[in-house]
Amino acid sequence: MTETSGDESECIEAGILENALVLIAVLDKKGRIFEWNHAAENITGYAKADVIGNTNIWKYIYPDKDYRQGLTAKIAEILATKNHFENLETTIKTRSGASRIILWNTKEIQWYGESKAIAVGIDITREKEMDAFGRSIIDNANVLMAVMAPKGKVLLWNKGAELITGYSRDDVVGNSTIWKHLYPDAEYRSTITRQITGIISEQRYFENLVTMIVTKTGERRIISWNTRQIEASGGYNEIAVGRDITEQRHAEEALLAYISEMAMRLKNPVEIIRDNLQEIAALVKEGKLTKEEMVTMLEGQVRNAKQVAANVLEFQKAIAEKNKDIPEAYRSFLSG
Amino acid sequence: MTAIVNPEELAQKQIFLILVPPANMRQRNIELIKEISTLGYHMVVITTNFPYSVLIKLYSDSGIDLNKVSFIDTVTRNSIGNAENIPRVVRYVNNPANLTDLGIAVTEVLKENAGEKVCILFDSISTMLIYLSSSNISKFIHFVTNKLRLMDISGVFLAAEKGLDPMFVSQLTTFVDRVIDQDNSGG
Repeated sequence: MTETSGDESECIEAGILENALVLIAVLDKKGRIFEWNHAAENITGYAKADVIGNTNIWKYIYPDKDYRQGLTAKIAEILATKNHFENLETTIKTRSGASRIILWNTKEIQWYGESKAIAVGIDITREKEMDAFGRSIIDNANVLMAVMAPKGKVLLWNKGAELITGYSRDDVVGNSTIWKHLYPDAEYRSTITRQITGIISEQRYFENLVTMIVTKTGERRIISWNTRQIEASGGYNEIAVGRDITEQRHAEEALLAYISEMAMRLKNPVEIIRDNLQEIAALVKEGKLTKEEMVTMLEGQVRNAKQVAANVLEFQKAIAEKNKDIPEAYRSFLSG
Repeated sequence: MTAIVNPEELAQKQIFLILVPPANMRQRNIELIKEISTLGYHMVVITTNFPYSVLIKLYSDSGIDLNKVSFIDTVTRNSIGNAENIPRVVRYVNNPANLTDLGIAVTEVLKENAGEKVCILFDSISTMLIYLSSSNISKFIHFVTNKLRLMDISGVFLAAEKGLDPMFVSQLTTFVDRVIDQDNSGG
């Protein structure tokens, strides 16, 4: 490795300083700026010439007096115990009036033989926005979302989960007791656990696994679960998304019951009428019926057929009433 | 010929649901009446399909002793208006959907035959479905079976096989002692 001279070393440092993608400033204890790199100019909108040699930049980027004073007090408090600070998050105002969130780290350095501080500021505005966006999606999703560490300890419990189960984030996050509350029946819980363990050992996730939970108020809800494993430090966490399909299931059951009822009251009666007419025909052929009996029996079948027609109309009306999306012409036709 | 219902179970006043292929419904009705009346039972037939006047001809042609049969007829009055009840022979109900009158008729006919070995035959649940919802029929069958058990009387309910949805069949199953599926039993 070749040695570098002092001049070369300074050149390299200056190059790093200027080309760094993070805001770098060198300042003294009073906040006077000695160095202001290109990224600092880009992020804040203030040029080196505006800020070098004075402390004005802090008034520019923290124009709100109360915020600035609060921040100064906080920095003073940190520096009272150590000569640097780490991951201090502040919101600055740029020259154009936009807000940016900066994560600051400082370190004491020797600058041309004098003790100074180097402040490195990372613009985390986009990450913060993405985090907020993600949190907003998680919280506003109309589904139960939970993130679990191995062994079921809950790390995240969204608003949807609170609404569906009745258990608040404070009740749930940090422990794994929620599963005993949601599945109070030990036998059922054990069955579900076995099922989940089996699926996860085979494919690491499960899709549309339907379980019945008991909410805090004792209500039973049917949940369709989907999970994925997500990498976490030193292993994997599980993200579980549960959709409350209780109403959908009830509607499906009601529809099935309705269709079955209609099959019993439409298709089968038609077959009964057919069979009765065949029998009447056979009895007539055998000469076993008087004219009056024949009329009575045929009228009976006419009545049956009329009732079946009335049942069909009732069925059509019910369909028209239940389905709001049916075009008016069809609704009118179905309503008879 | 193999018996449709087991005489011993009948003697224990059991209640049966018999699922019959629709085309054989009338024939099964006649066979059951013949079989059970031969065992010394007085049959009470609730008919929702064929009128009393036709049924007695069919029974008579099959050699059934008509003294051992009485009827609750829900068909005739619906067609010809007024038909007079004949005590211990036939009682008319205006239409099969009138469950109140049907319930009263069942109660009265069973009273008329109190002290006798009686078996009731309901023909058929499938025809009733033309006029009533399954839930109403279910309630009515529950009422009738309760009455039969209280009065220690056996009963047979006929229905077209494959004509009832599984939920309805399971409800009916809870009211009766035995379900005989004629298609599966080879009968």
